Formats: sequence, C-alpha cells, structure tokens
Amino acid sequence: MWLFALPALLINICIILVPAVLTFTAAFFIWDGVGTPVWAGLANFQNMVADPVFWSALTNNFIWTAIFLTVPVCLALVMAAALLMAPKARIVVQSIIFLPRIIAVAVTGRIFQGMIFSPATGIVAWLNEHGFSISDPLADPDRSLYAVAAVDIWHWWGFLAVVFLSAMRQISVDQIEAARLDGAGFFALFRYVLIPGIRPTLTLMLILTVIWSFQVFEFIFIITRGGPAYGSEVLATFAYRHAFFEGDVGQAAAAACVMSLFGLCATAVYLWLQITDDAQST
Amino acid sequence: MTMTRRQLVASIPVAALAAGLPRGATAQDGRKVVTFWFGQANSDGQAALRNDLVEAFNASQDKYLLQLEVKGAAVNNLLKVALVAGNGPDIVQTAGPAYLTAIANAGQVLPLDDFAEKYKWKERFLAPLLNTSVYGGKLYALPRDYESMHLFYNKELFKQNGWKLPTNRKEMEEVADAALAKGIIPFGAGNADWKGVNEWLMTVFFNNVAGPDNVRKALAGELPWTAPPFVEAVELSKAWYNKGYFGKNYFSLTIEQSFLQVVNSKAAMAFSGTWSFGTKSYGMSKPDTVMDVAPTPTLGSAFSGSLVHLACGATLSIAKTSQNAEGAAAVFEFMLTRKFYETMNRDWPGKWALPVKDLPPEMLSGIGYPLFEKTIANLHEAFSKGQYGFTTWTFWPGATNSYLIEGIEQVWLNKITPDAYLTRMQTLFSQEAREGKVPPLPPRTA
Repeated sequence: MWLFALPALLINICIILVPAVLTFTAAFFIWDGVGTPVWAGLANFQNMVADPVFWSALTNNFIWTAIFLTVPVCLALVMAAALLMAPKARIVVQSIIFLPRIIAVAVTGRIFQGMIFSPATGIVAWLNEHGFSISDPLADPDRSLYAVAAVDIWHWWGFLAVVFLSAMRQISVDQIEAARLDGAGFFALFRYVLIPGIRPTLTLMLILTVIWSFQVFEFIFIITRGGPAYGSEVLATFAYRHAFFEGDVGQAAAAACVMSLFGLCATAVYLWLQITDDAQST
Repeated sequence: MTMTRRQLVASIPVAALAAGLPRGATAQDGRKVVTFWFGQANSDGQAALRNDLVEAFNASQDKYLLQLEVKGAAVNNLLKVALVAGNGPDIVQTAGPAYLTAIANAGQVLPLDDFAEKYKWKERFLAPLLNTSVYGGKLYALPRDYESMHLFYNKELFKQNGWKLPTNRKEMEEVADAALAKGIIPFGAGNADWKGVNEWLMTVFFNNVAGPDNVRKALAGELPWTAPPFVEAVELSKAWYNKGYFGKNYFSLTIEQSFLQVVNSKAAMAFSGTWSFGTKSYGMSKPDTVMDVAPTPTLGSAFSGSLVHLACGATLSIAKTSQNAEGAAAVFEFMLTRKFYETMNRDWPGKWALPVKDLPPEMLSGIGYPLFEKTIANLHEAFSKGQYGFTTWTFWPGATNSYLIEGIEQVWLNKITPDAYLTRMQTLFSQEAREGKVPPLPPRTA
C-alpha cells in the first residue's frame, strides 16, 4: 500500500515539507536572502511582536476572516437554495456567477482598480462628474481593506454557491418534498432541511475559509500592496515586504509561521469535528 | 552501452536540468553565450534593447552571443534566488547600489577591478557614481545611468498665469496657493502603481529642506534622522500633502496619469525623475511641448539655489559563478561605445545615460530632444563638480528605505507623528549601519 502512496508522498515531502521546515528554520536566523544566515534565536519573533504593523496586519487578517465567514457564505447559501428551487435558471445563473472565478486575479484586480474605483477613469469618476461625491475607497486607509475584500467576494462567492448547490442536490428529494407537504416555506426549508443537509460541506468550506483568510495575498498585493499607510496590510504582505523589499527573510519567515499557526488550528478543528462525527455515526 | 529502464527514468530530470542551463553555453556558431536579465521595459524599451544592445553587440564581434530576457517587475527577487542557487545570469543588473549592497557583501558578484584596469573604467566613469559600487576597496559594479529628481512644469500654464519659476520655498508655496485658488493641482503626483513615488518626493524634501550636507552626515552616522532639519522636512511634506498640493487622488492615480495632469494643464508642476523623459505619451521630445524642466529649488534655509540628486538607477555586475566573465565585460565595454550611447539615448531616453567622462552630454546634441539634452548636461556638470544631494533609492539601506516609503503614508494620513516616523527610521538605520548594509557614500568632491 505504501508503494501506491509513494509518488504523492515524495512530491509532498519535496514541495511542501522541505520548504516548510526550511521556512520554520529561517525564522530563527538573520538572513538577507543572499548572504550567510546568522543564528538569531527568538529575535525575529521578538522584533515582530514589537512592530505595531504586525499587530495591525494580524487584526486585518481576523477582520478578513470574519468578513469571508459571513458575507460570501450567506450570499452563496441563499443563491444555492434559490437555484435548487428554480432548476430552469440553474445553468445560466451558475455560469454567470461562476464567471468571476475563472478570470485571472490580476485582471480582476486591475478592472476594479482602474475601471471601478479610480477617480480618474472608473465608475467613481463618472459618479463624481454626475453630482455624487464619492472618493476612491482604495485610497482611504480605513476603508481599503473592505474595498479589496469586496473585490475578492465578487470573485469568490459564485464558486461557493456552486459548491453549496452541488451539496444541496445530494439531499433526498423525498425529504424536501415531505417538508413542503408539511407546510415549510423557503426559510423553514432552508433552516431545517438544506443547511443541516449540507453541514459537512459547509463545515469544510468554513474551515478552508479560515485557512485561506490567513494566507490571503494576491488581491491585496495587486490592488493596494497593503496600503495606504498599512491600512490593508495582512500577514502575507507583511512577510513579502520583509523578505523582498527589506531583505529580512528571517522576519518574513517568522510572520509565515504565525500564518501557518492559524491554518494548523483550523485544520485541527476540522479533524476534531471529523472524529466527533465518526464517533457519533458508529 | 545499453540503458536500463530505471537508468532512463533517472536520467530524465538530469537531462531536463541540463537543457535549462544556458550558463557557459556555446551557440551553434561557436560563440560563447552571455546571459542578461532585464526588469521592466515597455514596448519601445524592449525594441531598443533588442536592436541597440543585443543585435548591435552580436553584430559587432564574433566571440560572444548576448542573450537577453525581460523578466518583469519581480526581477530583483528572481535574481537573488537565482544567485543563491548558483544559476543566475552572467550579467547581474540590480536596481541600484541599495540592492547591490547585499549581493556584493554576500560575494555573489565578481570584483571588477581587473576588468576596470584593462578597460580603464576607473578613469572613464564619473567618480561619484562609480564609488557607489565600491565595497572594501573593490569595485563590484558599473553604474548604468545617472538620474535625479527634477521640477517638471507646464511653461504655458505658468505663462498664462504670470507665474515665475520658484527659486525657494516661499515662491513655491505662492505658486502652489495661486494654482489651488484657480482649481489647478499644484503638483501632479500619484503612487497607485508604484509606491516608490513616496521616496521620490521624500528625496526632494530631505535634501531640499534639510540640505545635502545634513543628509550626508545622517548617512554617515554623524547626525540622527531625528535631528531638527529632518523633522522640518517631514513636517513640510505633511503640510503640503494636507493642503492638497499633491491633489486629492495621490493614492489613486498612476505615475503616468498624474504626470499627464501637468501636460494637460490640470496640474502646474511635478517632482519627477529623469526617467520621465523616456515616456513618449508626455510628448516632451516634441519641439512644441508645453513642458519645461529645472533642478529642484531649495525648500529650506540650509542652502540657496537649486539642487540635483545623485542617483544610480541601475548597476551592472558579473555573477560570481559566471562561466563567461570576459564576455560579460565585453558587453559592458560595448555599452561604453559612442554608437551605443547615441542610439540607446535616442530610442529610450533616460534609461542608459552612462556617466562616462569620454561620453560627454554634448554627444547627445542632435538626437532631437532638447529638454533631455540640457538636463543630462546639467547633471553631468553638477556630478562632476560634486554638487548634489542624495537619493533614497541609492544611498538608504533596504529596510530603512522600505520604511521611508511605507511610513510616510502614515504621517501624511495622520496615523503617526513626524517624530515617531523619524524615530523608527533612526532605529532601523542604526541597526542596518551596524550590519554594514548602508551603501557607500561618494567622496565629498569629484
């Protein structure tokens, strides 16, 4: 049996385990990325926690997680339930809401930056010309994180809806029809049949959302680079800046360890839930 | 010899690796290949690189074959990783001495002293620029160009409004206030596509408010960044930002959009660098351009008159593991030929203004770009005389410079005070100075 697992195991060791161990090790060294690493003990972690930007980045990761655990999930659940009830519209609507997912992140980022939010060339500019006083949210440190989150939600929620719809279609039709015969309306059906029916999928997506939220990088880096004034800085942009602009790979690795810690916690919760479910079902 | 299936499978990755290694390769015609990675280049720039450098060099001799790859904005990161892996290009181009410091300190590039002696480079280059690449008495790179921040302005707009070119802070603020009163943005500026615009502005504020002598002292560790002249510089930048001198959309506009505001008379002036000459959409090469350019005037009491800022936008080195260092040096020598200097500056102005004494700016006269020609002539003269300020991207160490760029946004947006900003900068600078990461300063006189 081990022989069957060997190719996948080798790939995982080479491209996941080895870089992960090296990153963890680098967190204990001072290294500029080209010279000889020097042992630093816990200095990178001490410097990191003394940096107020680290704490604002961590806070932004929590805000991002809270947004993505609620807004796109709620949107996707409602849309999936609606599509379950309206099978004729499924193909067209699914195609439309899935479309943002297949557009490259860089393209999506540039579209929102230049064609929507820009006060020179975007819809914001048009609205300003027509009497609405709206500023570019990307230029405001207190709103930039939410503006980028809105772009990512646009990119993400349709995919989530399609996943939830697939899960809902596994629910027994008899169960749904029985609920309807008992007088359940849309929201009762949603609350007492559909949500419980897709609980394993929902749990998995929520856990993955937590993991991905602590790794978020592309949209923020492309659209705001963590700014302005660190307003949209998250741990990944914090780490990238330290590694590639400040030549401080050790500090970047320390930040990466913190990111991984939250991912590990989320994975542990998922495994615990799985074990609990297995125990209950046997 | 027959090969077993296992040996065949094992040989596949080895063969794949070998196929991907251009280092020390020999072309079909027997020439030794010289590899060169370039960062960002627009279509005009790529055409100029292909025609004026690669094809011209390859046609000029039959020993070496130059192969150029345009790697994009991430070239600095790629280069570091490749050098550590021993698999970088023969010619190592960095984005300036601040980037070169780590690579040279790590011994990833070759000392060029032997080649410098052979080709007389030390006698030919302007000393202030060549010295930015000298570490421990050894030369590790050649400066590819010289740059400086300048005051670009719309001369037609100035004429229409009766404004005179400002020569000090008072006059500058009078013009800026008059522009604001007329609904004109005083300075076209935007950093939506490149946060480095922050450091362009801070180069002007630090040098033109605090004065180049104080900046030199701070870089040499003789004056802290928290000293009053620097506090004044940061406070002035904040005051100007908050008064709207840089417009309402600094964080939303790209470099090109903001500069075009000046060209289109929506803004009066712009603090920008000599690289702006290379953007054709600005139309500055046309005889009827509305634009003019001048060195940046004093903005404080530390000096009078105006100032240019010493900058080296890119350095050229040879990788330690290069199999063809002679070929790389031959490419450098080709870049110092009159023909290359003229064609490259004609086709891509501002990118390859080699600071070489025997390629004086007069050679550029006649390329049909009067503003560029006069600016390069002024720079050449100022650098020759040792009269210059210091650009952040050439003389500030990496982490300090990164904070200079990121932290000033916090000051402008009232998140931290100028004192807190400079205190943090001093902390980072002291640490990097202890670690030997501060790029070398040129001698006081040329």
